[in-house]
Amino acid sequence: MRRFWARFHNVFDGGRAEWELAREVESHLALLQETFERRGLTPEEARLAARREYGSIEQAKELHRDTRSFPWAEQLRKDLRYGWRSLLRTPGFTAIALFALALGIGANLAIFSVVSAVLLNPLAYKNADNLVTVLHHGTGPVSPANYIDWRDQNRSFEALGAAEFWSPNLVNNDPPEHLLGLHVTQNLFPMLGIHPLLGRWFAVGEDRKGAEHEVILSYSLWARRFGSDPKILGKPMDLNGEEYTIVGVMPREFKFAPFWATGSELWAPLAFGDRIEERSGNSLRIFGRLKPGVSLAQARAEMAIITARLEKRFPGTNREIVVTPLKENVVGNIETPLLLVLGAVGFVLLIACANVAHMLLARTGDRKREIAVRAALGASRGRITRQLFTENLLLAGGGAAAGLLLAFLGTKALIAASPVYIPRVETVAIDGRAILFLIGITALTVILFGLAPAIRAAAGNLSGSLKEGGRAGSDSMRRNRLRTFLVISEFALTFVLLVGAGLMIRSFFALQSINPGFDPHHVLSMIVSVAGSKEADAGRREIFYRQLIDHVRALPGVQNASGINHLPLAGDLWTMSFAIEGRPKPRPGEAPEAVYRIVMPGYFETMRLPIVRGRAIGDRDDSRAQGVVVINEQAAVSYWPGKNPIGERIAMDGIGRLTVVGIAKNAAEEDWAAKPAPEIYLSALQSRDFLGDGGAHMAYITLVARTSGDPAQLSSALKQTVWSFDRNLPISDVLTMEDAIANKNAEPRFEMFLLGVFAGIALILAAVGIYGVMAYSVSRRTKEIGIRISLGAARAEVLRMVLWQGVTQSLIGSAMGAAAAFLLANLMEKVLYGVRPTDTVTFLSVGAILSAAALLAAYLPARKATRIDPMMALRNE
Amino acid sequence: MSSGEGERIAVLQGTLDLIVLRTLQTMGPQHAYAIATRLQQVSEDLLHLNQGTLYPALVRLEQQGRIKGSWRKTETNRDAKFYAITKAGEKALAEETLRWRRMSGLVEKLLSEGA
Repeated sequence: MRRFWARFHNVFDGGRAEWELAREVESHLALLQETFERRGLTPEEARLAARREYGSIEQAKELHRDTRSFPWAEQLRKDLRYGWRSLLRTPGFTAIALFALALGIGANLAIFSVVSAVLLNPLAYKNADNLVTVLHHGTGPVSPANYIDWRDQNRSFEALGAAEFWSPNLVNNDPPEHLLGLHVTQNLFPMLGIHPLLGRWFAVGEDRKGAEHEVILSYSLWARRFGSDPKILGKPMDLNGEEYTIVGVMPREFKFAPFWATGSELWAPLAFGDRIEERSGNSLRIFGRLKPGVSLAQARAEMAIITARLEKRFPGTNREIVVTPLKENVVGNIETPLLLVLGAVGFVLLIACANVAHMLLARTGDRKREIAVRAALGASRGRITRQLFTENLLLAGGGAAAGLLLAFLGTKALIAASPVYIPRVETVAIDGRAILFLIGITALTVILFGLAPAIRAAAGNLSGSLKEGGRAGSDSMRRNRLRTFLVISEFALTFVLLVGAGLMIRSFFALQSINPGFDPHHVLSMIVSVAGSKEADAGRREIFYRQLIDHVRALPGVQNASGINHLPLAGDLWTMSFAIEGRPKPRPGEAPEAVYRIVMPGYFETMRLPIVRGRAIGDRDDSRAQGVVVINEQAAVSYWPGKNPIGERIAMDGIGRLTVVGIAKNAAEEDWAAKPAPEIYLSALQSRDFLGDGGAHMAYITLVARTSGDPAQLSSALKQTVWSFDRNLPISDVLTMEDAIANKNAEPRFEMFLLGVFAGIALILAAVGIYGVMAYSVSRRTKEIGIRISLGAARAEVLRMVLWQGVTQSLIGSAMGAAAAFLLANLMEKVLYGVRPTDTVTFLSVGAILSAAALLAAYLPARKATRIDPMMALRNE
Repeated sequence: MSSGEGERIAVLQGTLDLIVLRTLQTMGPQHAYAIATRLQQVSEDLLHLNQGTLYPALVRLEQQGRIKGSWRKTETNRDAKFYAITKAGEKALAEETLRWRRMSGLVEKLLSEGA
């Protein structure tokens, strides 16, 4: 054991041992020489005699080395040193190869670390793999009575908790703030298993009506509004004018809910009160933890039985209830784009490998003579392969080190540049798994780019190389085939990447050309909340809203202004079913349904949303007039096909009878690219909910203003106008309509950007590859071309010959790439809009771009070929 | 190791360490050249080794902690690495000697009985 460590130590400290050995041998020889001198020999004779007596010095040293450390390690050390020196001898090659590898490895590591954090790591709750959601269609909300029935009837879940959106105003605390939070059932936090940093979870019974005025804060809210006060527990907090007691603060990393209402900063108990019987108002998100040993399939089967039973008793209330793993809801949308980008960087790395392999082949060509000499001196073929491979290992190691640095900076830049919130992106780090990945791809890389050239180089014909003096007029056919194969595969890979990027670009332009129905330019919006203020009172709210809009209209630079409950594309989306008068009562669950928005007079004019028939909602549509509604074209087509809906009447629960007075153009609703759905607009002046008679759940208005100039410039003037009424009114979500659209399209734009960048890198690498191969091939064929020219070949013919070689390779590569892209096409389907993944235009354009790049890359060497002076060429060889 | 040199015998595998240790025990600290010379003298030139082949044994023994090398001056005022036997070396020598005696006795016995 002791000897093992001594040997091990010598692997790394070989220099010292080597020096000692030399010194010892020298002294040994000196002593021998002395002896011979004493016997009467001259110093010179004695020196020679000593040498003879001693035997081979090199052999002795070699024996010494083998014994003092491990032979293989000793060899590796030597190979590394040798490789290092030979890499330094060709700094240009080394720099380019390192750059290509660092780029490939770094990009892969960066994207992988995002994939690892976002897709692979479990969610940050206790045993998060057992957490599921139970929702309509997997994502939609659920009613209180259904939740209670499921909770009480199931045997699959350890716990089933509910959460409901809550956005209270923090008042009597300057500045006032509109907060995002959740009402949660008492069992929800214990189910997640994350303990508060301070204080406690809600206690049993605290989610009963009357006992629910307690609140748990997020770390960020605690820090922002309470200066991280360590004695915060038990202190009061004024929300919507009601007093809450702070009972806990969650740790910094804690986030809930993870896929919807992700910005929640405070949690209060969810008390159902009278709503316990409510079966049609869907507002709860249900979270569950599977019992140990219960599988997802078992839970799904049980829920199917329970909901089928409830559906029979309460038709239309329990359809399509889906149990989904929580994680799937969190990362489901981002999975495809992320994997797509990971695939793209994988391609970039392959191309980088092909490029480095090229350069290595060219280099071993130049090093033929050196290799032959080593072989002649007794190095075995395996030994030479190992030596060259070690050199490649050094390259890959250097590339990996630089790649690590690049990935470290790259992930930071990527997260900063990402215009969309990628769930869990804040947990991205170069962790153990990422390092394992790095080691893995580095090993793969070195095998891909380094193995074949090393074997090929060592397999050269020894005597042939020596005779040719390393210049080899006849490059071996096999090596040429390998190079051609590399170029072709580079083009094929680049083709696939360019198709991906091209499709994203086409899809993006298709998205850009969508008409939202209204004019989104020069529109500014902001949410003004009145909850907890004196403006919230039922009597005062209508006057306040009207006066506010009048004041805004009077601002210089404002052309028009109005209000709405939820702004399209940015706000919430509420739907409601209704009945059409004069038609048979529809079966439960099959009544007409529509998105409904509540608008102040002037909304259609302000948004420039055209009324195609009838009239818009105006000032006179108030509580004294008959109830009116404007529907969109889609509602007209869906519910009054072939008829004129103007003058028709509908009835809505809790609102009453409404007469259709106008048809508006279809407008964007929630998703930018979604097909239009039926939508109805109610008059705010006729809505008791909106004006404050229906409780606190709608105590806000989204102000919209059309401006003559840049809308963002007017935001402070608008805020001042609001605050001139009451300094205590929270303003939030200040947004131009253009930004709202940009936010909706941020993800495809980001994906397009990433794929575009990677495809661009790939194109450059492939062009460099073909340039390298052509330049090398021309320099190898100098003699042949010289002979052709001297025999009368026209220079144009030479040019054509060389160009043709480059273009054929790119064409073959493109054909293979097109086939591959065709096969991979359906992977893209999910992220594309308005363009098929096998889009002909994209494929043809990519082919053209690649051919152009190949022509350009081949042109420079080709021109050089035409300038070959036959006399010089022949003399040189 | 040299073989086929007429009557000279090659060092039996594994015995070189034993011989070196014994030499150092009887003669005190010695440099490699002196050890090699001593071996030739004792064996009356029957034992022949390329002097360079002594090094692996010295390295091995030193790594095992049985001898310790240090740089000193010879009588003729030259630098040389002198090796001295350590306590562990003494112990190993005793064990190895015993083992060798048993082994050679056994071989001797077998050979004489078989004759």
